[in-house]
Amino acid sequence: MEGDEEKFVTPGEVLGKATELKAGKGAYVSADDRTVYASLTGFRSLTPPPEGSDDPRPTVEVKGHKAHGPVPEPGLVVIARVTKVMAKMASADIMCVGPKSVREKFTGIIRQQDVRATEIDKVDMHASFRPGDIVRALVLSLGDARAYYLSTAKNELGVVSAESQAGATMIPISWTEMQCPLTGQVEQRKVAKAGA
Amino acid sequence: MEYVNPEGLRLDGRRPMEMRQLRAEIGVVSKADGSAVFEMGNTKVIAAVYGPREVQNRSQQSNDQALVRCEYSMANFSTGDRMRKPKGDRRSTEISLVIRQTMEACILTHLMPRSQIDIFVQVLQADGGTRSACINAATLALADAGIPMCDLVTSCSAGYLNGTPLLDLNYVEDSAGGPDVTVGILPKLDKVTLLQMDSKLQVDTFENVMQLAIEGCKAVASYIREILLENTKQLESRRGVK
Repeated sequence: MEGDEEKFVTPGEVLGKATELKAGKGAYVSADDRTVYASLTGFRSLTPPPEGSDDPRPTVEVKGHKAHGPVPEPGLVVIARVTKVMAKMASADIMCVGPKSVREKFTGIIRQQDVRATEIDKVDMHASFRPGDIVRALVLSLGDARAYYLSTAKNELGVVSAESQAGATMIPISWTEMQCPLTGQVEQRKVAKAGA
Repeated sequence: MEYVNPEGLRLDGRRPMEMRQLRAEIGVVSKADGSAVFEMGNTKVIAAVYGPREVQNRSQQSNDQALVRCEYSMANFSTGDRMRKPKGDRRSTEISLVIRQTMEACILTHLMPRSQIDIFVQVLQADGGTRSACINAATLALADAGIPMCDLVTSCSAGYLNGTPLLDLNYVEDSAGGPDVTVGILPKLDKVTLLQMDSKLQVDTFENVMQLAIEGCKAVASYIREILLENTKQLESRRGVK
């Protein structure tokens, strides 16, 4: 059947010696650092070592069949919905990590100093975000026990979509303003650069 | 009472070193992250695994490893007479603890800090060897959930009646009052993670009985591996891979 050239392994099966292979995802090295075993059920695959690294060993990985939901990592761009706006920070629920949507929601915080790159002490949170706004943000770090730390301090980060007070989806007109198509009212937000 | 007749057959027609028929199915509880049904003869057990997910009780959260919780219960209809209190009694609490310790030894908990893994096992039909069937079902469910483990854990029980070591006791043989040795091993790493015994045995006889149980565990391990391979092949073909 398909895929039999890649060996099917179950947890505990020997994949090779630690001197010849590096343990990737789905594999682990035994306590005495000699053997590489599988830790998941699936098909094993070998990837050659990356260019220019001094480690000549290929990496062995076991690809399981269960796809777990993505988890935010520092340096990734996420899409979040703002839930609370306070004087010095805004709370947001992270809904997508990169192109994939998450299985269970994660909480993120955008602090006043991370909203934009210039004049960070003069930021007015209520003129940057409102509850219900969809923002594109960058994960700065794992943060504290309660939430990830997010940042919108780049041109392409910030509010992507927002509803006006009249209930219509607003159109961005500059990096600080969005306009409601129904009433013509202009509202202040930290807007993300469209396109790209 | 004669548990092994002069021809060498047990009450249900098995030979002393013969295990009961094994049957397993994966993915039976769609809401759970991993689930399995495991049958050893007439003993039927269902296991469901949820996790890794966020810890519900913040005070128990651990910064460097995952929290493993296990709950064992017997359905009211699992035994001959309808059970009055299937959960929370001493036997269930003890077995929950035993299963949790056994599975915790093989899950790579340091890969999932600040998270929780819940294992729920329920006995649907009890005919001896429920503890072993539960551990086997939990292993399958954890493998189905894709939780990284250092090895599969398999378990089997053995006893000693009428001067003969018997593999995989059923309820009648278990209630005979003789010794009942339950062993749980990591088959590829060749390590013992669970060893329990009721009643008394001479040390050399004990070694024979334990060795027999370990052979039973290895047979269960090869069956579990077959089931996992079949399941993975089915999933790959459904996804249209290659």
